[in-house]
Amino acid sequence: MSAGRILVVDDDPQIRRAMRTTLSARGYEVGDARTGEEGLDELRSGAYDLVLLDMNMPGMGGIETCRLIRSGSEIAIIMLTVSSAEKDKVEALDAGADDYITKPFSTPELLARIRATLRRLPHPPDDAGLRQLGQRGVEIDLASRQATVRGRTSRLTAKEFDLLSYLLARPNKTLSHRELLQAVWGPDYGDELEYLRVFINRLRKKIEPDPSKPQFLVTDAWAGYRFQLPQ
Amino acid sequence: MNMAAMARSARSAAYFAPRISIQRSIVLVGRAILSLGLVAAVTFLCIRLVPVNEITAGFLYLVAILLIATAGGLVESTIASIAAMLCFNYFFLPPVGTLTISDPRNWVALFAFLATSLTASQLSARAKRRTREAVDRQNEIEKLYSLSRALLLTDATRPIAKQIVEQIVQAFEFPAVALYDRGSGEIYRAGFDDLPAIDTELRGAAVRSQFSRDESSMLIITPIRLGREPIGSLAVRGAFLSDAALQSLVNLAAIWLERARSEETVNRAEVVRRSEELKSTLLDAIAHEFKTPLTSIKAVTTGLLSDPAAPLEPRQRELVSIADEGADRLSTLVTQAIQLARIEGGKFQLNLGIHFPSSLISAALRQMKSSTDGRKIELRIADDLPLVSVDAELVQMVIAHLIDNALKYSPPGAPILIGARVSQASVVIYVVDRGAGITDEEQSRIFDKFYRGTKERNLKGTGMGLAIAREIIRAHGQEIHVTSKPGEGSEFSFSLPLTPAER
Repeated sequence: MSAGRILVVDDDPQIRRAMRTTLSARGYEVGDARTGEEGLDELRSGAYDLVLLDMNMPGMGGIETCRLIRSGSEIAIIMLTVSSAEKDKVEALDAGADDYITKPFSTPELLARIRATLRRLPHPPDDAGLRQLGQRGVEIDLASRQATVRGRTSRLTAKEFDLLSYLLARPNKTLSHRELLQAVWGPDYGDELEYLRVFINRLRKKIEPDPSKPQFLVTDAWAGYRFQLPQ
Repeated sequence: MNMAAMARSARSAAYFAPRISIQRSIVLVGRAILSLGLVAAVTFLCIRLVPVNEITAGFLYLVAILLIATAGGLVESTIASIAAMLCFNYFFLPPVGTLTISDPRNWVALFAFLATSLTASQLSARAKRRTREAVDRQNEIEKLYSLSRALLLTDATRPIAKQIVEQIVQAFEFPAVALYDRGSGEIYRAGFDDLPAIDTELRGAAVRSQFSRDESSMLIITPIRLGREPIGSLAVRGAFLSDAALQSLVNLAAIWLERARSEETVNRAEVVRRSEELKSTLLDAIAHEFKTPLTSIKAVTTGLLSDPAAPLEPRQRELVSIADEGADRLSTLVTQAIQLARIEGGKFQLNLGIHFPSSLISAALRQMKSSTDGRKIELRIADDLPLVSVDAELVQMVIAHLIDNALKYSPPGAPILIGARVSQASVVIYVVDRGAGITDEEQSRIFDKFYRGTKERNLKGTGMGLAIAREIIRAHGQEIHVTSKPGEGSEFSFSLPLTPAER
């Protein structure tokens, strides 16, 4: 049984070859594409669990490809970037990526990121929290991972859904950045504050009645985040 | 001197030229003689050519005086009035041939004649003066208009102040104009006459915002102000200008100087921005070109080294490790070369934010996690450190470079101390190692690019880390220092500016 199906989208043939060999040696099924356009076609025809997407490609480019994939799918996306600058990382996450890795990277590091991204929380959110959200006008459908607020429906990605589940199970309590990162992404994480910032914002856009004035997902400056749900 | 005082002093000598010059006196005497001649001609006409009675003669005199008043000025017509009155009395009022009058009624007639002729002179002279003034104003306005139009067509490649003076000379035909531009500190001149030795006065006028007028040399020096701020000064020689026109002229100069200055600022910023953008694009392209092949090399070496299904033989493992480390080193080299290129020359933008010094240090330690594993790191961060205003990404890079340096130049068992404390109006961050230390002679060179110590060729460094650190700290307006004793170790320290609220 395969560990998962991964699509590698990179314009460099050497990288595609190396990825195909190393990843299939670890039990993944690997497909590849040379451009963003090809990648989108490939995703339409095949069932993949994760996309490794190069940020800097000729043609459509990684960021735009990421946005297009995200507009129709909740598949896990890891961006491969050359720059380690904060703004590039945030740009990747904002475009809908679940994680990023800076080139050149080591195989163990890449495998760890893939595992973390495909990792799912064992428990879905508990019913009590969901009911309370429902009373406040936010409907969450577990099966399709859809959130509906004020008639606006959006699908949550797996990581967004896990983050929301974790927060919802512990309402009215400030959860530290480290705790959230380790719970949702895995034990290797803990310092990637920009992940949380971007993911919380993405969640706010999907479940807050007014994302600019969040009433559920509250930031506790310097400490962490809190899911505000008055009993 | 304030605006009102300046306006007053200008008004007290509305016309710059002295009231009566020698040339004007000669003209005046000539005209007076002409008017007297006209009175004589009327007298001759009325007595010899067409003998008339005294009433007709009186009217003819009045007509002559009106003509004189219209063509000439008040002085000529007054002289003519008196002469005509005397002639009228002598030749026409009985007893004829004397300056006496027998009939008292004729006295009344005579004075009525004098009063009428003087009043007519006055009125006509005033009307004439008004007309002349109106024409002058109109001329001035036309000149100002042509100046402002000419200034619209200025040439961006030449100093605007130079073009302003040239256009003033052309439009107003002043003999000499000089303009001091406070922004550039230059004085520009134009006109056929020169204005020697006025540099000090011009500069003084701009600094003190002071107006001055020298009647004898026909020189006006006036500050050029934008709002209350003097931005230069203007000297004009030989100008016959009303205050209002002078003020408009100065305002025009002010507007154009300021416009040119703001355009220049915008252009300069644009050039810097474009070259910055180009540099950035170029560096990104280079980074991509180098890192793409490195990525596949790294994927292969680390894939081989970490594959549990096919462990390598010890010899194979050693060889693959060498390739792997080589790839790492090349990657660091490219990263640092690009960092250095990006920050060199001090023309990069700091992304300033407010940060806790302790979180900068912990973020740097996180970055260095793979190299600090197994090493003893001691932290000595003072409590309640104030917030600093820095580019966090760059400062973390500096701390990481210093930690990297300390790790490389001290034995594996030796601890490394990282600390932060307050010092005057800044926070000082320091990294101390117990390595071999640095000689005084070397201390002065270690921040130079590609300098890597005399015995240290075999080490992994690129020789760029400290140069990058220094550039970043300098961009924050601070300095990086080293103190070291050979055999005991080194301390690198740098300060960070506090947030304005903490200062």
